[in-house]
Amino acid sequence: MSHQRVEKFMPVRILLVDDHPIVRQGLRTLLQGRGDWEVVGEASDGVEAVDKVESLRPDVVVLDVTMPRMNGLEACRLIQQKRKNSGPEVLFVTQHDSPQMMREALDAGARGYVVKSNAARDLLEAVESVSQHRIFTALARVPEVPR
Amino acid sequence: MKLRILLADDHEIVRRGLCALLQKHEGWEICGEASDGREAVEMAKRLKPDVVIVDIGMPSLNGLDTTRQLMQHDPQFKVIVLTITDSDQVIREALDAGARGFVLKSDAARDLVSAVEALQSKRMFFTPRVNDLVLAGFLDKGHVVARNEPPNLPTLTVREREITQLLAEGKSSKEVASLLNLSTKTVETHRSNIMRKLSLHSIRDLVVYAIKNNIIQIQMPTQMSAPTETTVA
Repeated sequence: MSHQRVEKFMPVRILLVDDHPIVRQGLRTLLQGRGDWEVVGEASDGVEAVDKVESLRPDVVVLDVTMPRMNGLEACRLIQQKRKNSGPEVLFVTQHDSPQMMREALDAGARGYVVKSNAARDLLEAVESVSQHRIFTALARVPEVPR
Repeated sequence: MKLRILLADDHEIVRRGLCALLQKHEGWEICGEASDGREAVEMAKRLKPDVVIVDIGMPSLNGLDTTRQLMQHDPQFKVIVLTITDSDQVIREALDAGARGFVLKSDAARDLVSAVEALQSKRMFFTPRVNDLVLAGFLDKGHVVARNEPPNLPTLTVREREITQLLAEGKSSKEVASLLNLSTKTVETHRSNIMRKLSLHSIRDLVVYAIKNNIIQIQMPTQMSAPTETTVA
């Protein structure tokens, strides 16, 4: 009998972090269409997010910026500190449509940055990219070109 | 017959979350979605929903003015306002505009279904803080609060409030004219009247005024670089 190599299917494991449950529900709805992705948990602030990264070991953390107790930037820095060689990629999904905030997010160790007003358009591509360790950024407004 | 609900929020991600929440309820259907207040008013007039859920902070026409316009068109409209803040001023304006429900966005997953159920049974629904204000009697302090009259803007007409928001959002008179199907000259006249009535001298003054009076909402900046002292186990 020939042995067949069975490839184990490993979905991309995603942790959702936003202080508004209704936003987390919206993100879930957007992500659930992909059979190869799995939302493994949710958190409502940065402290809970860092705890759940430890306990759930997601591949991607979808993270809001403005949250109580600990904001997303601080949470991202802590996640990166604990990351060592293997750890989740962070994708920010935020109201802040600002190049400065985006820069700050990338400096904090995020791999992706998407604005909430365009999340329905950009989220899937963003998660796809960051799960493959590629950077994805998309602001809603076009930054002014300095003269 | 299903209860028909119109959703108005400028973030599709929020609308998706609201849809997912509300559609679990058998007997309810989302009959339409609008991404700004102007679209919400047009859709409500056309679709005649049983309940309209409006976000307070929408571009072009904010939730409070959307509510006022809906009530002006038909006082039978039942409106729930969704807001990120429950300040006294916002609560007063929402109630004065004619909203029958007031729900904090952060509590929408918990409260919105109850709010819709309340309006379905011809009752009102407010967060506990609003109930406290009502009990404190601010609505009945010996004077009648007229519906559709924004208490902090007694001299601006509905049209002037619309134009104030659009100008404060950075639109030019020409852009405002195009959006509202007016001539640029008419918009300029409204603009002059607004500035005169409110004793404002610049667009910057107008923006500050619009923010202070909840005509536009701003996103508060997150403190970016200062480390917190929170320790994580």
